[in-house]
Amino acid sequence: MVEKAEEQKNLAQLEEQEITVKIKRFSKEKGSWWQEYRLKVDRFTQMTEVLRRIKTEQDPTISYRASCHMAVCGSCGMKINGEPRLACKTLALDIVKIYNSSTISVEPMDYFPVLKDLVVDLDEFYDKMFKVKPRLYPDKDVLEGKVDHRLKPEDQRELWKFEQCIWCGLCVSSCPAVRIDPEFLGPAAHAKGYRFLADPRDTIYEERLKILIDSSWRCTYCYQCFNVCPRDVEPVTTIKKTRAHTKFMKEKTKVAETGEKHIESIVSSIRETGKLEEAKVYLSTYGLLESIKDMIYAMQNGKLKYALVQDTKVKGLDQIKKIMGE
Amino acid sequence: MKIAYYPGCATHGLSKDVDIATKKVSEILGIELVEVEDWNCCGGGFLDEYDEKAHAALNLRNLSTVERMGLDKMVTPCSVCLQSHRLAISKYDENKDLKKEVDTKLKEAGISYQKKATAEHIVWILVKDVGLDNIKSHVKKQLTGLKVGAYYGCQMLRPEKVMGFEPAYNPHSMEDLIEVTGAMPVKFPMAIACCGFPLMGSNPKGGIRLAYNVMNSAKTMGADILVHPCSLCHLQLDVTQLKVKAEFNLQWTMPAIYVTQLLGLAFGLSAEELGISKIAQRVLKEKGII
Repeated sequence: MVEKAEEQKNLAQLEEQEITVKIKRFSKEKGSWWQEYRLKVDRFTQMTEVLRRIKTEQDPTISYRASCHMAVCGSCGMKINGEPRLACKTLALDIVKIYNSSTISVEPMDYFPVLKDLVVDLDEFYDKMFKVKPRLYPDKDVLEGKVDHRLKPEDQRELWKFEQCIWCGLCVSSCPAVRIDPEFLGPAAHAKGYRFLADPRDTIYEERLKILIDSSWRCTYCYQCFNVCPRDVEPVTTIKKTRAHTKFMKEKTKVAETGEKHIESIVSSIRETGKLEEAKVYLSTYGLLESIKDMIYAMQNGKLKYALVQDTKVKGLDQIKKIMGE
Repeated sequence: MKIAYYPGCATHGLSKDVDIATKKVSEILGIELVEVEDWNCCGGGFLDEYDEKAHAALNLRNLSTVERMGLDKMVTPCSVCLQSHRLAISKYDENKDLKKEVDTKLKEAGISYQKKATAEHIVWILVKDVGLDNIKSHVKKQLTGLKVGAYYGCQMLRPEKVMGFEPAYNPHSMEDLIEVTGAMPVKFPMAIACCGFPLMGSNPKGGIRLAYNVMNSAKTMGADILVHPCSLCHLQLDVTQLKVKAEFNLQWTMPAIYVTQLLGLAFGLSAEELGISKIAQRVLKEKGII
C-alpha cells in the first residue's frame, strides 16, 4: 500500500506543470483589472484548489466562493477561459489541454452584478427560484399523518433528473433570454418549477400553471443551460415539458397564446403533409396582416420567390399519422 | 463520397438558397448528396414540446430510410434539423420509458430503426471528411479584403455531449472555412449566442432583439458580413433582416449568408447562381468581391 501511494505521488509530481492564472479582479474602490498569478499544479488540482493556493500563498485580498469542492453546494460558479463552469468540477490541467495553453483566465459569472472579484450578487437568482414555490405542497391528509405519500417509480424517473439542481446560477448566467426579458423566470427556476408541476403528490397545480406557463414561452431554445449545467439537469427540457401544460390553462397571456397557436399550426401541418409549411404556419400564428408585412421584407431582400415554393407532401402519410396519433 | 442528404423544410422553403448553394458546392467538391427518400419534417425544434415520443419517432423514420438506402450518414445544412435528429437518437438510447413507446409507434407504422444511421452537419463533413486543403484546392477566387463574422449560433454546438463535433465554447470550424476562401475571419462576442429565431413563434419582440444583438456585435468587431451554418438562422438574419433594421431604426445592415454560399463565391460561382440576397450582394459589390 505504502509503495503504491509513494508511486502515485511520484507520478503526480512528474506531471506537475507551471500555469499562469489570470483573474479578473473587481472592487468598488478600484474598479476592475486583470491580475496574474503563477503556480505549479498537477493532474489532481481542481480550480478551487488553484484559487485557495493563490489566496493563502500569494494574495490574501482575492475573493471567491467555494465550499464543498465536490459539485454539491453550488458555490463556485465562474467563467474559466470564458466557459461557465463549477471551479471544483474543473481540473486545471484539463483546461490547459483543451485550450492548448498554460494560461487560464478566471472571471466572475456573466449577468449577475459583481460584488468583489469572483463573488457575484445572486439575489435575483434566489428571488426567481422562490417565485416558483420550490417545495412540495402535500395533501391535508398527508400533513395530518392519515395517509402516506406515494410516488410510482415511473413518476420518480421522470422527476429525478430535474431534481438535481444545486442552485449554482451557471445556467442563468449564460441565458440570453433572461437578459432581454424580465418576465422570463430563467432556466433554473423552470427546472425547479417543472419538478413540482409534474409531481403527482403536489396540490397546487393551477397556481403553478399561472407562475410557469407565460414564462415558459419566453425561452429561445439556445441550449446554453443544457450545455453548462454541471448536474445535467437539462432546464430547457423542462421548459419544453412545461409548455405542453399550456392546454390546461384557462386564461392565457398573449405570449402563451401566440406560442400555442404556433405549435398547433406546426403539428397540423406535419399531420396533413408530413412537412412544415412555413407560409401556413406563419399565417395561423401571426394572422394575415403581420404575415404580409414580413413578406414585404422578404421581397425587398429578393427572397419572395422562395416563399411561393410549395414542397411535396410526404408519400408515406399513413406512417406519419400513425406516429402523430389522431 | 456518397452521403444521404436531408434538406429540411426551411431549406426547401424560404431558405431555398441554402439548398442551392450546398448542392452546387458539394458537387464541385465531389460529394454525392442523395436526398433521403420521402423525408418528413423533423419537428422544426418545436414538436418535442408537444409530443416528445412522436418527435423521436418522426426523426427515426428519416434515419431508418437512410439505413434502407444502404447509407449510414445523413448530412443536413440546418443546425435545428441536425440537433433534432441527434437528440432523438440520444433520448432513444438513454430513456428506456421513452424507447418503449417510440418502438410501439415505429412498429405500428412499419418502421424499423437499426441504430446505424446518424445525422451530421454539412460543416462537419466539409472540415472532417472533405478536408480544408482539399477545399482550398478548389478556390478559384480569393475573397481577399472581406471581413467575415464567423457565426455559429446554437444547435450545431449545443448540447456538446450530443453534438460532439467541436467544443461549444471554443469552436473554430467556421473560422477555418472562412480562412480557406482568403477572406478574413472575424471573431465577435455573440458568435455562439442565439439569433432569436425560436423565440419568433411566441415572443417575436424578444426574438428580434436577440437578432439585433448578434448583428450589432459583429458590426462592432468590424465584420462586413456574417457567415452562419443554419437554415433557420438564415430566416432570421437574412430573409427578414430588414425587419430587424426597421424595428431598431438602423442605418446599417449586417447581411448574413450561408457558409456554402461563401465557399461558392470562392469557387467562382456568381452571387445570383448561389441565390445570395440583395443586401448581401450590395456589401459584396462594395468590397469588390462580385
